[in-house]
Amino acid sequence: MSKKVDIDTGSEGKGSHQFSAQADTQEMEERALSVFSSERNEDITALVFTLITTFVVLLFTKWMV
Amino acid sequence: MSEARNNVPLFLMGGIMIIYALIVNTGVLLPLMKSIGTHKSVDLQVTMCFIVGILGILSGIVNSIRKPQNTLLDRFFLQPMAGVILLLGLAMLVRWYVEPWVIIGSKSLKSVIGFEIYKVLNLNYVVLGLLVGVIITNTVGIPKFAAAGVKTARFVLKMGVILLGARYSFAELAKLGVYSIWLVGGFVMGTVFLVLWLGNMFKQPKSMTGVLSAGMGVCGVSATVAVAPVVRAKSEEMAYTIGTILSFGIICMFVFPTVGKLVGMNPTQFGAWAGTGILNSAQVAAAALAFNAVDIATLKVAEIFNITRVLFLPIIVLVLATWFGKETGQKLNFKTVVIDKFPIFILGFLLLFLMSSMGLFSPPDHYKGKYVDFSYNDRTRITDQEWTTLNEALETGAIKGADATQMAALEDLRKQHQIAGNFDDRNNKAVFDKVGRDRMTALESILAQQKAKKIEMSKEVTGAVKHALKQVHKKSKTIVTLTDCMIWFFAFGLIGLGMQITKKAMAQAGGWPLVIGIISGVTKAVLSFFVVLWFVKEVTLK
Repeated sequence: MSKKVDIDTGSEGKGSHQFSAQADTQEMEERALSVFSSERNEDITALVFTLITTFVVLLFTKWMV
Repeated sequence: MSEARNNVPLFLMGGIMIIYALIVNTGVLLPLMKSIGTHKSVDLQVTMCFIVGILGILSGIVNSIRKPQNTLLDRFFLQPMAGVILLLGLAMLVRWYVEPWVIIGSKSLKSVIGFEIYKVLNLNYVVLGLLVGVIITNTVGIPKFAAAGVKTARFVLKMGVILLGARYSFAELAKLGVYSIWLVGGFVMGTVFLVLWLGNMFKQPKSMTGVLSAGMGVCGVSATVAVAPVVRAKSEEMAYTIGTILSFGIICMFVFPTVGKLVGMNPTQFGAWAGTGILNSAQVAAAALAFNAVDIATLKVAEIFNITRVLFLPIIVLVLATWFGKETGQKLNFKTVVIDKFPIFILGFLLLFLMSSMGLFSPPDHYKGKYVDFSYNDRTRITDQEWTTLNEALETGAIKGADATQMAALEDLRKQHQIAGNFDDRNNKAVFDKVGRDRMTALESILAQQKAKKIEMSKEVTGAVKHALKQVHKKSKTIVTLTDCMIWFFAFGLIGLGMQITKKAMAQAGGWPLVIGIISGVTKAVLSFFVVLWFVKEVTLK
């Protein structure tokens, strides 16, 4: 398990955040551009939201008509 | 009280949304909406604005009476809400007002400058949204209250990319000739690797090279948007790629038809060349029509090659995800790259592509939700009035200049009241559809030649043929709705990404993307020119 450091990005951002102690500037810049704490979380949330959207669309345009 | 003051923008935007919804609901704006062609979205405009407005005001109230904390509700809902509403408001402005006005303005300028600017510069909601974001950030700057909301842009854009998968299917690829798949596939992969190699040679960042290779190799703007998060491209790198593709496409649009005519290419050869060498779909169509506006063969072949290229998108995304994982990781094997580094949202894109290919949203052989249906159905038939007109024209020999195939297609339309295969083959779908498709092509060519005054027939008969063709072209409601969602996600996401592109960041990216883009684009255009000229005689379509 890699060591983590906490960085406070302020209330305008997303509050406090954990970064890998080895994280480079690029990774920090990368995270600062997103409300999610990791790329994986962002991807999984996007996937779940889209699948829910697809299900709802299928329900109202195909299965219930 | 001070908390309430901090939330003034939220109350203000929420209020404006509700007031706009009420105004639209009264019907006052209907004449304006009709003039710009957005009247069909009245219900959507009212519903969306009401919901967003109420959400805004509720969030403002909660934010005012409660101190900000570090909870999920705060991070993902309450804090970003003001920015999200701002981006949504701008997306609404682009979709409902800016884009329609740009289209109307371009059409009215056509008689003066000879072409439609919005088509040439691809000024659709994607480019306009990005431009709006860039203009705001470089003039007034991102408002402080919107900072957290702007950070949701890439997440929303990823949702759009996942939905993009629903628009394509394997069956469409299988329908195309093996020959065109090899030809286009070769050039797509060749260009991708050429750009990656050039990027390496000119020491460009991996993210820039990755996104540019997809843009130059596949299909321009949508490929750029889909691949950008995979290779972690910065917003300005995306903007550079889109700019490079569109500028290169504009040059091609004028050069290709001239060169094609100079060397005496036949319609099939030119269609294949334009579909392979030009990157943007609208620009491919414009070049094909500029080469030959009479014979639809050129446009059809160009579109077939263009579609083939677009269908390579999922493959290219996979290739680039693997390449980027390998380039940035340390001594990773293929398995590690695929499991650890592969972006999950691209799995979502592939999942929807698979669902679409299996026919969950629409018949599996659709393309962007459109498909042709020759089955016997009341909704596929022409009207009785149209049938009488057609019957009289055929009886009196009023249709002049059509060849035997075209006349046979018209005779069959009279016989069956719709475009279809032979009644006796109705249980053999492949044969039935093949004959129906041939008849459809013959009727399309009649319309093109009638327009060029090579075939003589009355307006009424032309109307009947047009209606018959329209009746067999169907659209999946599911894919249309999913596409609408995708468009909103893209509009929202790209405005947010545009807001991250500052003049300073653009200056830092330098002019290298343009150099790499031009080298690879010219190489592809020249190589495909010779390949097409020597090998393509007729396109092989099943």
